[in-house]
Amino acid sequence: MSGLALPSKAGPSNAQPPREEDTLAGEGEVLKRPAQKVVASVPEITAVQGLVPTLQNIVATVNLECRLDLKTIALHARNAEYNPKRFAAVVMRIRDPKTTALIFASGKMVVTGAKSEDDSRLASRKYARIIQKLGFDAKFAEFKIQNIVGSCDVKFPIRLEGLAFSHGAFSSYEPELFPGLIYRMMKPKVVLLIFVSGKIVLTGAKVREEIYMAFNQIYSVLVEFRKEA
Amino acid sequence: MASGQSYYEFYRGSSIGTALTDSLDELITQGDIPPQLAMRVLQQFDKSLTECLQKNVKHKTTVKGHLATYRLCDDVWTFVVKDPQFKMEGIGSGGEVVTAPKVKIVACKSGDAPEGKKSGGRSGDYA
Repeated sequence: MSGLALPSKAGPSNAQPPREEDTLAGEGEVLKRPAQKVVASVPEITAVQGLVPTLQNIVATVNLECRLDLKTIALHARNAEYNPKRFAAVVMRIRDPKTTALIFASGKMVVTGAKSEDDSRLASRKYARIIQKLGFDAKFAEFKIQNIVGSCDVKFPIRLEGLAFSHGAFSSYEPELFPGLIYRMMKPKVVLLIFVSGKIVLTGAKVREEIYMAFNQIYSVLVEFRKEA
Repeated sequence: MASGQSYYEFYRGSSIGTALTDSLDELITQGDIPPQLAMRVLQQFDKSLTECLQKNVKHKTTVKGHLATYRLCDDVWTFVVKDPQFKMEGIGSGGEVVTAPKVKIVACKSGDAPEGKKSGGRSGDYA
């Protein structure tokens, strides 16, 4: 394993390994073993100044391919909330990986809060297993990561006005509405919230490489608009 | 019945409620009162206890502990709290702490509670 900085072409990409199974048979085994930490999960990163964005949230969707009676789920599962007057889904949480799932009667499910792709997948499988144990014929289909959020601190203040002015096409800076600058990067298609403090939030990515790419691209711009104290 | 409002029946399971039920049972078996009257008494008990707890109880207790599980279904919250510490306020010398290994708290919506807010409820030992 070489370090971080070497951009190997077809490195061990962690994007959707082809181990897709559409059934949860023997899932008990899977649930018992700890989340697999892919060692080479930070590939092709040219870390600027040793800075790598931290993943804060991953949102994924799964189709359980089975109609669900939400009342049954709310009644029998632990850590579930169901208030159909407010929201037409059961909100369920598990502690490991610490995540929240929205479970709909159609059998579709949204899993949020995971900090890594593997955790997101593992959590989704755990929820599917819980639904199965309640007697539903739940499958595990169409798992897809919909959004990845990362954050980073460049540790120097930034002149947002200057940045907004020279990158007008991508920037929206309305300090009276929101203190951060909203930067809509086109390639990769990622939205960044940039704050005077030098703290950055990156969102809208489908794979973590997009977060890293976006950060590396914005970093050189930020250096340009560094605020001298 | 005279009042249209219905009250929760869960206070019948409290010690005062079971005592009342036992007495009524005894009166029925002895033939002193008809069962309908006993039902009427229990309904009045539901109403009186609910109103009494609402109006006359000013003491508070705070619960601290580890929330093992929770559930919301049909407007009923259920909490299982591990190692709860109940701090009783205004009882005895004040600041009295009661502990238990585990407690189950069932909270139901009270009749006058606005939508989305919860209040009222009961707690009991959970084996």
